[in-house]
Amino acid sequence: MTAHRVSPWNPANAVTASRFVFVPLLWWAIAHGLHQWATLFIILCGLLDKLDGLVARIFDCRSAFGELFDAITDGLCYGSGLILVAAYGWAPALPVVCVIGLGLLNTALRFVYIRRAGRAVNYKSYAMERIVAYTGYLIGFATSGMEVTLFYWAFVPLMLVIVVHDARRMLIDPVPGAGPAVEPAERAAARSTTADEPVRAVRRSAPATAATAEARQ
Amino acid sequence: MTELPDGVFRFLISLATAGFAGVWLIHDLVFLARARRARRTGRRDSLLADQVFGYLVGIAIGVIGLVGTLRFNGVF
Repeated sequence: MTAHRVSPWNPANAVTASRFVFVPLLWWAIAHGLHQWATLFIILCGLLDKLDGLVARIFDCRSAFGELFDAITDGLCYGSGLILVAAYGWAPALPVVCVIGLGLLNTALRFVYIRRAGRAVNYKSYAMERIVAYTGYLIGFATSGMEVTLFYWAFVPLMLVIVVHDARRMLIDPVPGAGPAVEPAERAAARSTTADEPVRAVRRSAPATAATAEARQ
Repeated sequence: MTELPDGVFRFLISLATAGFAGVWLIHDLVFLARARRARRTGRRDSLLADQVFGYLVGIAIGVIGLVGTLRFNGVF
């Protein structure tokens, strides 16, 4: 991760944000039964997903916010794409519901992870990176009519295993490079007066894992 | 709206899927072998464990992609 402060208004985040343009275009193509155009739009959306990382490296504007924004954009673009293909009958609805449910669960776990870390940080998982890319392909398989049943049903158990694996790491394992060891006194006091419960110090992760955190960022 | 002939579109989609899946499979097989070698040399941290799991998932996705492409083209 870069040491200098990076503005959220940078070229990499602009590329990430530009992916939202493809959601209405995809909707238009699906609504008009244009399989090839829909496939083209989802391929372009996927290419921009790869391009934003490259732009971040070229302009040296990598940031924790950018990673988080990219993850949220993945969820919104691919999630809405999956809903569209299922709604128009181009993909089976049940696996799409399972995939979106698991995706929402993973997003909720990411917010728990951010709370545990005490700062805006993207939870990086090699397996989840791969499954997110597969989600992009899933929409492409539906728009091109390519082995839709096989690809959609194969995805569900794979994603379930990854969500369970990552949940353990996000909820149980120590958070690398987390903030202070105890909850700030004023916050703890405020909590005790409003909730009428004993003040409990929140134990954060061991600092010994900070090196691993840097490697992940 | 002008579109490609069905046969051409089918061929391009098959080529792209098989290409991505094949490259993905080989890439993750190579990196999995490297990670396992690192494990054998005594390195045992959560990052390495996460990488190994990620590469295994990548291999599974690559295999699914290749099987799907073959089925799409009526191989089995």
